[in-house]
Amino acid sequence: DGHFDDNIDDIDINVDFNEPPRSMDEARELWKSSELATQELASGLCEQLRLILEPTLATKLRGDYKTGKRLNMKRIIPYIASEFRKDKIWLRRTKPSKRQYQIMIAVDDSKSMSESKSTELAFHSIALVSKALTQLESGGLSIVRFGEDVKLVHPFDKPFNNQETGTKIFQWFDFQQTKTDIKLLCNKALKIFEDARSSSNTDLWQLQIIISDGVCEDHDTIQSMVRKAREEKIMLVFVVIDGINSNESIMDMSQVRYEQDPNTGAMNLKVDKYLDSFPFEFYVVVRNINELPEMLSLILRQYFSEVASI
Amino acid sequence: MSDDKSQVKIKFFTKEEDESLQVSDTPLFVPISLKRYGLSEIVNHLLGKNGESDEAKPIPFDFLIDGVLLRTSIDDYLIKNGLSSEAFLNLEYTRAVLPPSFLASF
Ligand SMILES: [Mg+2]
Repeated sequence: DGHFDDNIDDIDINVDFNEPPRSMDEARELWKSSELATQELASGLCEQLRLILEPTLATKLRGDYKTGKRLNMKRIIPYIASEFRKDKIWLRRTKPSKRQYQIMIAVDDSKSMSESKSTELAFHSIALVSKALTQLESGGLSIVRFGEDVKLVHPFDKPFNNQETGTKIFQWFDFQQTKTDIKLLCNKALKIFEDARSSSNTDLWQLQIIISDGVCEDHDTIQSMVRKAREEKIMLVFVVIDGINSNESIMDMSQVRYEQDPNTGAMNLKVDKYLDSFPFEFYVVVRNINELPEMLSLILRQYFSEVASI
Repeated sequence: MSDDKSQVKIKFFTKEEDESLQVSDTPLFVPISLKRYGLSEIVNHLLGKNGESDEAKPIPFDFLIDGVLLRTSIDDYLIKNGLSSEAFLNLEYTRAVLPPSFLASF
């Protein structure tokens, strides 16, 4: 499926000559208010994530020691047979796991975000998730902006210095892009993850959290890209932020499509629920920032339990 | 990348007083290539008017955006008005006032 790789070389992900669309003062004020609004939620989310991720970080129990945490059952019979001389029968937690996480937050900068009045929720979500992940200190954090183009606004290898970094990131968002190219986002994200992976030898888990109003076309193609990401061991979690207009929820939204009748060849009109064909398997719909920590924890827990069962 | 798959979020509403002509105002995601005929087909589908009998017979509708009759595809409308498929359109529909023979040529 070579068509996925179209244009991938045309875009340089590291160099950008454009000025950010939002002034530094304005971005700083936005960051401050978003940070304030989500402070407690961020600590809560951090704790929840710690509970979810920590078991996956657990060190291995190893033998053979004279004292330890748990008995090594294989050593019990030789221990008795040797008249209790071979007494290195205990397991200890020794080698710390080298597993690391790289988490990318990809945020929708397209105009539909402002049309559906989702921008404040988007800013709060960025502040909430990035602060929680920084507190967690589980590995690298990157922020990506997408819409018509895809731009890495904060790379994995740079530290996240709270207000300074937050301000810089917020400067890149004004929600005026005239396309929502999720296919391009998937392509570029895979490339960014691939580059980040090659610079590190540890047991690395890569996770992308997409924050968007969820309105995107061509679900079939996106679905195959989501599968491709999964094959590359990149987890994709989609947070649909659902605006504030109570009568315009994405949950009620329908989609029109035309299906060819295999016998007559005629195109038949179908109207289905939009979310029925939503291409991301792991998604949550969030209407209020207070719901985000719980929802995100829930979907990540579901994800990890599925990953663990493979 | 071909644009024929582009879609836009719309909402239908009508000022028709006949309740049997009113659809729910939940948003719909539709291809931007649609013109009057395709939109009319959708409204009739939503109204359950796709049969042969008199009460289920499709009705031709006209469409207005901001009070202006839509004479082109949605795509052309967006371009002419400096909009993109990121817009959220409120589409008003009314019973077509043009004679059916003329409508058939759309
Ligand atoms: Mg959009």
